[in-house]
Amino acid sequence: MTRAESIGQFEQLVLTAILTLYDEAYGVTIHGRVQELSQPKSVSLGAVYVTLDRLEDKGLISSWLTEPTAERGGRAKRCYRLEALGERALEESAATAKRVWDSIVAVWGRDWAKRFGKGARQWGRA
Amino acid sequence: MPAPPRILERIVGLLTPPASREVVLGDVYQRYRSPLHYISDAWYAVPCVVYSCIRRTADAGVLLMDAMLVYASFLAAAWQLDRQLLYGKYGLVKLAVPSLLAVIALMLSDAYATPGKRSAFRPLMQGVLGIGLVCFAQSAFAAARFPFALPWWIVAAGGAAGVVSIAAIGMLFPKDDHRPRGAG
Repeated sequence: MTRAESIGQFEQLVLTAILTLYDEAYGVTIHGRVQELSQPKSVSLGAVYVTLDRLEDKGLISSWLTEPTAERGGRAKRCYRLEALGERALEESAATAKRVWDSIVAVWGRDWAKRFGKGARQWGRA
Repeated sequence: MPAPPRILERIVGLLTPPASREVVLGDVYQRYRSPLHYISDAWYAVPCVVYSCIRRTADAGVLLMDAMLVYASFLAAAWQLDRQLLYGKYGLVKLAVPSLLAVIALMLSDAYATPGKRSAFRPLMQGVLGIGLVCFAQSAFAAARFPFALPWWIVAAGGAAGVVSIAAIGMLFPKDDHRPRGAG
């Protein structure tokens, strides 16, 4: 079995956004979800486009054009979905993140983890 | 539902590469709140889309060959017509400016090409476009008395050879149009 493509943090956010948006993953919605995931940092729409193109070139995602809709001024959407390679890359990066989390909790303790969780939830609501 | 002004859409459409135009215009339309918000969205999105299209369409090997041949064309023109220029201060650097400009023009021309549309004259048109930018920039340099301006006879002779070189490279190494296109 070939090794999964290693991905950066922003690519991980974009892949997670596509995974959680199912069939509604296109530029605007992906940007919105990445914005939520990356809080309190803000993300530009252009950065999402560049990353989507790069992930597509790597074969981690694929895209297709939908029918034009009125809410977009009669223009089509480009929807994205994860490919098998993308799912593997995301799994591997989630496993790495989990190992990092466990290692930090082992040193800083469960109290810190609880406080951190509360902080993260507050960012999510902001 | 509020819609962005037509003139703004036209401008953003012109600046966006055709491969991504439909999708980018649709996305910024959907996010529209006010003209200022639309401009800000386009301001951050369009340069990234252009960069992404350049990254997808540019072939580093072919561009390097183009740069070397345009440089050789101007070098040969200077050797034949004004050898003193070669021995003068920054002579060789001055001759590199046209290749840099030609490569920029070629990268942008590939990025802004309409996907799936092929023409037998495309390599020649690219050569004319690349050297056209060189001539335009050299005229501006001369008008502003910029030290990197080259004498017009070198621009003319080097430019003519440059067009032929770029067209020849374009015909020998046609662009692969099978890569996925369409940011966003």
